[in-house]
Amino acid sequence: MKNDKTAENVVETQELTKSFGADVAVQSLSMYVPRGKIFGFIGPSGCGKTTTVRLLTGFYKPTSGTLSVLGKDPAAFSKSDQGKIGYLIQQFVLYPDLTVWENLNFAASFYGVSPFRRRRLNKLLDFVELSGDRNKLARDLSGGMKRRLSLAATMVHNPELLFLDEPTAGIDPILRRKFWDYFKELQADGHTLFITTQYVGEAAYCDLVGVMYEGRLLMIATPEGLRKKAYGGDVVGIKTTEGMSFEQRNQVEALPFVHGKVKVIDAQENDVIVDEASAAIPTLMEWCQAQNLNVETIEEKSPPFDDVFVKIIETEAEHD
Amino acid sequence: MIRFFIRISSFLGKEMTEIFRQPLLILTLVLGPFLIMSLFGLAYPDQNRALRTTFVATNPDAFQNELGLFTEAYSSTIVDQGVETDKDLALSKLALNETDLVIVIPDAPFETIQNNQQAELEVYHNEVDPFQTGYIQTIASIYVNEVNRRILQTVTEQGQADSGSLQSGLETAIAKTQELRQAVSPEDANATTQAAELEKDLTDLHENLSTFRSLASGVLVNPFSVKTSGLSGIQFTVTGFFAPSVIVLLLQHLSITFAALSIVRESRSGIMELFRVAPITAFETLVGKYLSYLFFEIVLAGIITGLAIWLLRIPILGPLQDYALAVIILLFTSLGVGFLISLISQTDTQAVQYSMLLLLASIFFSGFFLDLRLMREPITALAWSLPATYGIRMLQDVMLRGSSVPPTIFQGIALIGIVLFVVDWFLLKRKMES
Repeated sequence: MKNDKTAENVVETQELTKSFGADVAVQSLSMYVPRGKIFGFIGPSGCGKTTTVRLLTGFYKPTSGTLSVLGKDPAAFSKSDQGKIGYLIQQFVLYPDLTVWENLNFAASFYGVSPFRRRRLNKLLDFVELSGDRNKLARDLSGGMKRRLSLAATMVHNPELLFLDEPTAGIDPILRRKFWDYFKELQADGHTLFITTQYVGEAAYCDLVGVMYEGRLLMIATPEGLRKKAYGGDVVGIKTTEGMSFEQRNQVEALPFVHGKVKVIDAQENDVIVDEASAAIPTLMEWCQAQNLNVETIEEKSPPFDDVFVKIIETEAEHD
Repeated sequence: MIRFFIRISSFLGKEMTEIFRQPLLILTLVLGPFLIMSLFGLAYPDQNRALRTTFVATNPDAFQNELGLFTEAYSSTIVDQGVETDKDLALSKLALNETDLVIVIPDAPFETIQNNQQAELEVYHNEVDPFQTGYIQTIASIYVNEVNRRILQTVTEQGQADSGSLQSGLETAIAKTQELRQAVSPEDANATTQAAELEKDLTDLHENLSTFRSLASGVLVNPFSVKTSGLSGIQFTVTGFFAPSVIVLLLQHLSITFAALSIVRESRSGIMELFRVAPITAFETLVGKYLSYLFFEIVLAGIITGLAIWLLRIPILGPLQDYALAVIILLFTSLGVGFLISLISQTDTQAVQYSMLLLLASIFFSGFFLDLRLMREPITALAWSLPATYGIRMLQDVMLRGSSVPPTIFQGIALIGIVLFVVDWFLLKRKMES
């Protein structure tokens, strides 16, 4: 897989592999994460996302391959290096018998944050909207509040790089959206975020997306690039009053900027894969007029990421 | 360096807050031991167990006058429940727990003795507890000595009474000897000397007889008595004696249980994963946990000790600083044991089970109930591997004997504590790195 490496990458891996006995959890993973970006690591449950995060945080040692996080092998991290990383674990691991404030205070001491930190902790509580719940015991919090508390605890030492392992798992769509707003704010503050998720739709919020499947990284791209790669180009939908004949569809497929077969949606509508939608639409319009086809609509389609993901997996299966 | 202390403080604050969040637990921890000690004192009065005793004499008419020698109460230990003539009936009462002892008096005891033979008293009991059996054997031995003493005293008193007529006979003989000496011719030197010697012999015999008659029969039969004194000069009650041991066992158990649950819970919650990737070390984690529990338990030990001193009147005869030193080293070592359990346990239940097993081992092998000097040599190694063994010895010396903490005992427990700290550190490091 081709990576656009630059000196600004905070995470880089080459042929990274992690096996547990005969089971290969992560296989030949090569990727990069540029500084200041939100990197979405997407894939179904059990595809190796958490193992990858654990490799990148130094929790696991790789079976083979190389990796560099903030310019160093995590195995050789000093305390100072570890202090530059924030790690949000999938499950809630803070203390149920401590209040929100006490848990946050514990996390701050735990990371060696100066005792004069009240302002910072208050700011964090405001950020995750838990200021009014500071005296609540953690065990009395809802699932979403627990995730927000965990996020605040992850950021308590103001890390450069945040590894967030499924931060939105199991929470409602409105709160999920709010989380992504938090992440955007963190990015705006200069943090780099490495976020795993099994919600494929969340790819849209990321700057770069890596798609994992059965321990392999299938591709890395921008969300739009992902669509393009999945379908082989932009998707243009053409709806005509009369519908296209078999002969006309063959003619479309023969156009130089069109890739693959024309997909028949119904009697009137067809989808065409093109190099660049903005350039192809005027040409396709002219072609329709030349064919005496009355165009009702012609526009670029953005397939949902769920479909994109399925398409990628199908393509991968065909290759196998 | 400042960050080192900040990171340690994270656990100090966290553990303390978690404990103090449970006021009922604290109340139980403070009042529980105190109530146990109070109940213990109430449950065991400072007296030996009184034994309900049935005597059996198949033919009591044969020694009706002497029967009291066998059946009269000997202190409060043997409580007379009457005389049975049927041995089987008495034994069935014993089996039904209607009596504790059956003492069978032989048929013709005095004739047996006159025939130059020992008369045997049979003592039956229905105990299975080896300590109670031993107690009964001791009581039986004291009882037979007392019977022998009383019989000897009776015989002696009889002899003293009988010697009265002998003495008056002697006085007559002395008077006649004086008359004889005066009647002998002064020239017969030989006869005069013999008469004088005879008079002297009779006078000496009379004086000896007077001495014999003037001595109390009790002194004659028991010329020596015994008085025992402890160095502390205090006779301890059962509560007083057991107080140091109870304090030690409770503090050890609390330390072990708290520490045993501490790390195993964190391992299971998943936070250990965070510890491993965060800038906190195993050393900082362990020191933080040690300090938090030590602080809490020292306060707890102080309150328990205060209550024991002021309400139960348990003395601390030795230096208070030695008492404090003994408690701190006991807590430190017990925490080491607890953290070891926590690091090798997979679940909370397993940790609790290990803690309970250790408590059980401490009750049996630490000298809590049985003196360590009664233990077989190889097993003492097990006893001396328990912090409670050292703790009991130290607290008994300081509280009851009024001495300082024995240096070798202190060094022994300190060594175990330090070794445990190092082992715990190594295991936690491995857990956080593997």
